[in-house]
Amino acid sequence: MLFNSLAFLAFLPLFMIAYWSTKGRARLWVMLVASLVFYGWWDWRFCFLLLFSALVDYSLGILLENEQDDARRRRLIIISIAVNLGLLAFFKYFNFFVGQAAGITLRIILPVGISFYVFKTMSYTIDVYRRTQPAERDLLRFTTFVVFFPELVAGPIVRASRLLPQLARDHRFSYERMVSGAALMASGYVRKVAIADSIAPLVDIRFAHPEAHNSWSLLIGVYLYAFQIYCDFSGYSSIAIGLARILGFDFGVNFDRPYFSRSFSEFWTRWHISLSSWLRDYLYIPLGGNRGGTLRTLRNLMITMLLGGLWHGANWTFVFWGALHGSYLVVERAFIRRLPRVIAILVVFNLTCFAWVFFRAHSFSNAWEVLSGIASMRGSLGDVENRWRTLKCAVMIAVMLGFEAAAWRRTTEVSPAMRLAFVAACAWVVLIFGTFSGNNFIYFQF
Amino acid sequence: MMTDARRAALWLLALVAIVIAGDHLFAWTLNRLVVRSQFRYSRVYRGGNRADILVFGDSRGAISFPTPLIEEMTGRRVLNLSYNSMSPPIAEAVLLDYLDHNPPPRMVVLEVSSVIGDGALVTELRTFAGLSPRLAALYRQAHPVAAVAGRLFKLYPLNSEMFLDVLHHMRRPDQDVITQPYRPAGLARIPRGHWRLNPRVENIAAVARIVHLLRARGIEVRLVITPYAPEKQPVNLREFIDLLTKRADAPVWSYAAAIGDPDVFADGVHLHVRGVVELLKILRRDDFFGMARTAGATVNASASR
Repeated sequence: MLFNSLAFLAFLPLFMIAYWSTKGRARLWVMLVASLVFYGWWDWRFCFLLLFSALVDYSLGILLENEQDDARRRRLIIISIAVNLGLLAFFKYFNFFVGQAAGITLRIILPVGISFYVFKTMSYTIDVYRRTQPAERDLLRFTTFVVFFPELVAGPIVRASRLLPQLARDHRFSYERMVSGAALMASGYVRKVAIADSIAPLVDIRFAHPEAHNSWSLLIGVYLYAFQIYCDFSGYSSIAIGLARILGFDFGVNFDRPYFSRSFSEFWTRWHISLSSWLRDYLYIPLGGNRGGTLRTLRNLMITMLLGGLWHGANWTFVFWGALHGSYLVVERAFIRRLPRVIAILVVFNLTCFAWVFFRAHSFSNAWEVLSGIASMRGSLGDVENRWRTLKCAVMIAVMLGFEAAAWRRTTEVSPAMRLAFVAACAWVVLIFGTFSGNNFIYFQF
Repeated sequence: MMTDARRAALWLLALVAIVIAGDHLFAWTLNRLVVRSQFRYSRVYRGGNRADILVFGDSRGAISFPTPLIEEMTGRRVLNLSYNSMSPPIAEAVLLDYLDHNPPPRMVVLEVSSVIGDGALVTELRTFAGLSPRLAALYRQAHPVAAVAGRLFKLYPLNSEMFLDVLHHMRRPDQDVITQPYRPAGLARIPRGHWRLNPRVENIAAVARIVHLLRARGIEVRLVITPYAPEKQPVNLREFIDLLTKRADAPVWSYAAAIGDPDVFADGVHLHVRGVVELLKILRRDDFFGMARTAGATVNASASR
């Protein structure tokens, strides 16, 4: 089920009624069943995969906690990681690795959100192994943690240490939480339905036929894509976080105005925070982090970003995107000192856009066509196609960035009346600028 | 002290009331702009046009018949009502609306290669559905759920690219659509391909109804096919023309192969400005817009001879 679908519009009030009219374990059952309905709306068969993943990590979590022998504990955590990465490897990377090595390809359907829930359950067992997280012994609560629908399919990746204690509490309805959650959801819908989905066709047409567009058009297409993916993904995150807030849960922040970053290390503390912090805690630090000298630190950064790129999809373009960001981080750490604020923001943004070309392109030759098209300096700004749609998107992006900049400086709490006005304004923007064709969220494919 | 649930219910009620009130107020204001604009369909529904020649068609019709050049050539008043993805049933609805709101023209030109279209334009025309029961019916047929949304929320029908066109043309007319004299190198490299003009049954029927209606009202009608680039010639052109001529009981002026220079096309199916000038020279030679010609006479356009 998509957050931007009619089905969800019908599902949400029914779920809310059931959720707020129950307590304790009955409420957990409501959340579990609703989450399975939400997930099974695409393909009910994958609910079993989800439940299998939950059952395996639930059992291994208890075994890990009970086991005192270090060697056996190591074996258990290896089993957990192997099962989780095995699922990911089969469904997501089989054709990529085996196909390239042995020329065998299978028709494998990628279960929606597998990268997200696999990382969530894997971090749980690793935390139990490290004894920083107690094993959850309530199967219902653990399964609900794994399948909790607001963040199931496209994050944020809410770890067990944050979510399980919240699932153990009975949340009381709060007016303030509902109002602030509704405002977050509204801003998410504007970003997804009005901005990202309006941009999508403008980007698609440019990347599908770069040869048919002039340099300005392609350059604008790249910038538009930077905002499409940001609005699409941060929009989904806002809807998920806002919905969870209404239900009484705190998911934290997943995007924090990333395009205002002054360095790449800052960018990665602001973009997809739940994934970058996951990679930091479960990959970069175990590799040695910044201990062991400059060269080892740079190596660890590069490995983390390469695997971060691969996490996004089974394509060398994603790996290259990760490598580019790894290189940015390496160069920044090794050579760059502070630049003036505005220049730093512009440099980081433009280099990020350069990397997005490889992220968006379906192949290296496609990326090359776009980049060489931009470099060819053919055509003029006046010949850019869909000028009015482009201008509409540019205005909406400017307004959004203006709101983000204003929110940055805000120190006072926003009143419910202001939130009322904000949500109403969002509704009008969605009505007049929204795209209602039920476009998928970009990150669903990951 | 009010409970949180009651405060939330009041907040939601206030939200619904404000959203609906704002929706109606903004929509009322913006709809005033729709009828005041110089955009082609705004002019249809505002009325008072005295065009001698009306042109209908899809993007090929829109680009091939630039009003200022034809007016200069013929001395007649021209209104081009073509638009991207316009199919004949949409053209029929707009034509009937035009005749309801304006004095009848002397001639209607219909670019008939639009019979292969799926009428996607009807989605955009929801902006004008409030002004036209005919367009509203077509929209309802194509998008039943969205049509309900449009009745509930008045801003929703204004959610279209066409509304941006309306705003863009508030002060200046939109009748000079000609693409730049530029053919992207990549398009020029696209190999010659075999393709067919596959007309839709409902579109052919609409063309026949349009011809019948215009004849009944004494308005001359021209069914025309504008040029395709040499590498984009449809393989079943003759068969297509025969079918249309038979079903519509009217001759088809085919200029499909009238221009042999691929460099005057923007993309193989659309002329650019140099191609349009060349086409207009051919039309002048053939007296295409000549008002004296007898309706229904057998015509063999120079291009298809």
